[in-house]
Amino acid sequence: MTDDTNEKPRARARPKEEFNFFQDQRVRSAFYQILTAGIFAWLVWYLISNTAHNLEVRGMNTGFGFVNSSAGFDTDFKLIDYTPGVGTYGRIFVIGVLNTLLVSFFAIILSTILGFFIGVLRLSNNWLVSKVALAYVEIFRNVPLLVQIVFWYIGVFSLLPSVKKTLDLTFGTEMLMLNNRGLYMATPILGNLFWLTPLALVFAIAGVIFLRRRAHKIQDQAGVRPNTFLPSLALLLLFPGTAFLATGMPLSWDMPTLQGFNFVGGTSVPPSFLALLVALSIYHAAQIAEAVRAGILSVNTGQSEAALSIGLKPYRVMSMVVIPQAMPAIVPPMISNWMNTVKNSSLGIAIGYSEVVSLFMQTALNQAGYAVEMVGMTMAFYMFVSLTISFFLNIYNKRVQLVER
Amino acid sequence: MAIIKAEKTTARPAPLFETSVIGWLHKNLFSSAFNTLLTGFMLYIIYLTVSGVFVWGFADATYVAKNRRECYDNSLTGACWAGVIHWLDNIFYGRYPRDQIWRINFGGLLLVLWMAPLWMSRVKGKVLVGATVVVFYPFIAGYLFSGGDKGLFMQFTIAGAIVAFAINMANMITGQTKNLGLNVFLIQMLGQTKATDNAQRNILLLLTALAFGAAFVWQMGWTVEGITWTKWGGLFLTLVISGIGIASSLPGGIILALGRRSKLTVIRVLCVGFIEVFRSVPLITVLFMATTMFPLFMPEGFVLNKLAQVIIAVILFNACYMAETVRAGLQAIPKGQYEGAHTIGLGYWKMMGLIIMPQALKHMIPNIVGSFIGLLKDTTLVSIIGLFDILGMLRSISKDMPWIGLHKEPLVFGAILFFILCFSMSKYSRHLEVKLSAGERH
Repeated sequence: MTDDTNEKPRARARPKEEFNFFQDQRVRSAFYQILTAGIFAWLVWYLISNTAHNLEVRGMNTGFGFVNSSAGFDTDFKLIDYTPGVGTYGRIFVIGVLNTLLVSFFAIILSTILGFFIGVLRLSNNWLVSKVALAYVEIFRNVPLLVQIVFWYIGVFSLLPSVKKTLDLTFGTEMLMLNNRGLYMATPILGNLFWLTPLALVFAIAGVIFLRRRAHKIQDQAGVRPNTFLPSLALLLLFPGTAFLATGMPLSWDMPTLQGFNFVGGTSVPPSFLALLVALSIYHAAQIAEAVRAGILSVNTGQSEAALSIGLKPYRVMSMVVIPQAMPAIVPPMISNWMNTVKNSSLGIAIGYSEVVSLFMQTALNQAGYAVEMVGMTMAFYMFVSLTISFFLNIYNKRVQLVER
Repeated sequence: MAIIKAEKTTARPAPLFETSVIGWLHKNLFSSAFNTLLTGFMLYIIYLTVSGVFVWGFADATYVAKNRRECYDNSLTGACWAGVIHWLDNIFYGRYPRDQIWRINFGGLLLVLWMAPLWMSRVKGKVLVGATVVVFYPFIAGYLFSGGDKGLFMQFTIAGAIVAFAINMANMITGQTKNLGLNVFLIQMLGQTKATDNAQRNILLLLTALAFGAAFVWQMGWTVEGITWTKWGGLFLTLVISGIGIASSLPGGIILALGRRSKLTVIRVLCVGFIEVFRSVPLITVLFMATTMFPLFMPEGFVLNKLAQVIIAVILFNACYMAETVRAGLQAIPKGQYEGAHTIGLGYWKMMGLIIMPQALKHMIPNIVGSFIGLLKDTTLVSIIGLFDILGMLRSISKDMPWIGLHKEPLVFGAILFFILCFSMSKYSRHLEVKLSAGERH
């Protein structure tokens, strides 16, 4: 890759009169391209033939047949059913992928909220607040993420009280229990006709959107905006609430209960999940905060001054004038941060969280030994995620540009 | 009718609220009831954090103890820094033989001395200084750190490195004291200022050759004990990996970025594919690929050690990130610069090397340093695949019998160390940015 790019045609003016074969730009360009392609093809052939030879010498198996053969090991955290000895390697891969996506999803939500908050604090008029936000950003940006993950795992979540002295995060209802084996949550059990409640909620949201549209119209025509907050709130609470009560409260909870040495029932996540989630959220919040700050600073001060001078309240200036204009500058770095969150979730391997790298690329690879296939599948997964995200990012960028011009 | 005042009205002093400390406090901390509340809340949070950290890390901490039990005997709520202090050598040097540690320190000192002229304004020929560091330092440092028998090739490069270092130091001295480059100084000393350029160059070449001969003969007289890479570890290993990564990812990134912007389709497609593949996967998968698949790629019997595999993976990975940084810099260069370079008849490489790249890299200094910081932080990942870098060392303290279970303190120590390294790097890059762009503020 390095040697072959060194020689390129010089962009010299081509004499029109005589055709000099060796000095002709098109000839040289074609020559170098063919040369590069040739070297690349040779390199690929060389690596493939070496690999094939090595695999044969070591008696290693190849092909994707292993996906359907059963894996003999278990994992402590899985979102789909799996029995060791019966479940296949393909299922192990899916478990790993789901675990990666699960922790990334929550980390992205938490870090975005926290990042926006800190980014706005960074620009606060209050000197102390902005300095505290700065300290947050600098501290968490300049310490390696892996150190932070390991610290949260070993230094915090493993030192929590034992199962016997478990912490109740909901002050007595025992719906969220935290101890050194993880977080135990009560799981809702949906009864008959429960689907009516979410449906009612959807209707309520549609109603709120309608109310706001109408308010907007009235504001455009009359200059006075009717209050939408209370009606919206009433709509959101009353409509699904009535549906829930009318169907006879078809919702019960599967509570985590202490049986013997451990909790049974409900949903639980291991400490490694919590440590990874917290570390990823905090670390990426620092990065997103910087993106938010840079985006807000990129909006001309004249905009907020003008907004203030027509009598908008400071928080309205922020939410209606500054942030909407800052969004095109904030979103691209923020989304690339989300992408990094997905990639960085692979560090869960250091604390034994069963995400795709640790489960498939390490444990399964050590067990079954299909190195090329397994590494390829794992990398393909990450590439797929990255390409999907950048696809949507490109669409967003195009739309924003259209709006601007 | 006009009223004219005969004497000048003296200016009133600025209101107290605008100038004094009270004014500053009012404006920045207590401008409204809400702000006052916020300030109080923040003060409370700061108090909680600082006092908690202070009590744990200083007031109740134990600095001298033989094992963890003694720490507990001293205080239950404080940090046990004794374990970290006890392991300090391991954290910095890994399992390098204790009587050979001077070699690492000497190697580090050599690098600092070698690079020092870059920061001295009177020294001439800084490009050459930078180039010799990149070309010669790795050989002498590599030999210092790993030792053993010198092959003929190593003997040549070590002699070359010694000569380059000596010339560099002499050049620094003449530059600082006489404000002259070493070459000019030597020619003056020999009274050859009137000779032709060619004659002067021959004299200098002869002197260099003589110095090289002397260095070659001198280096034949000593060797240092061989130490395998498995003994390398701690911060030293982290810096070796990230140092090599930094030194090679920048040129690699420049080549990839140029390839990506090339007009030749094949080259562009290959570079885009290479960059995008490595940028879309996490570093840990690249490291795993290096350790599991490189042995398969290589011809039979050719064995790369794990350190080399890791370094190759780190270089490939970071070159792709650097390529995107460089590309962003290239995109910021106005088209007129390319056209201007073409107009005065420069070819592709001269145009890139003399006109475009210097501007692009200067624009991107903060981002390039940002990539370096990222690389330094990412190097901790090698602990996952079993190298004892600084994080590996910090984590193994808790497995050492006397300090069993000592997790928090080593990690906090490592975090502080990384913070100091990375924070100072980023602050310096910002300073450099301001310094370099001082002349072109619009």
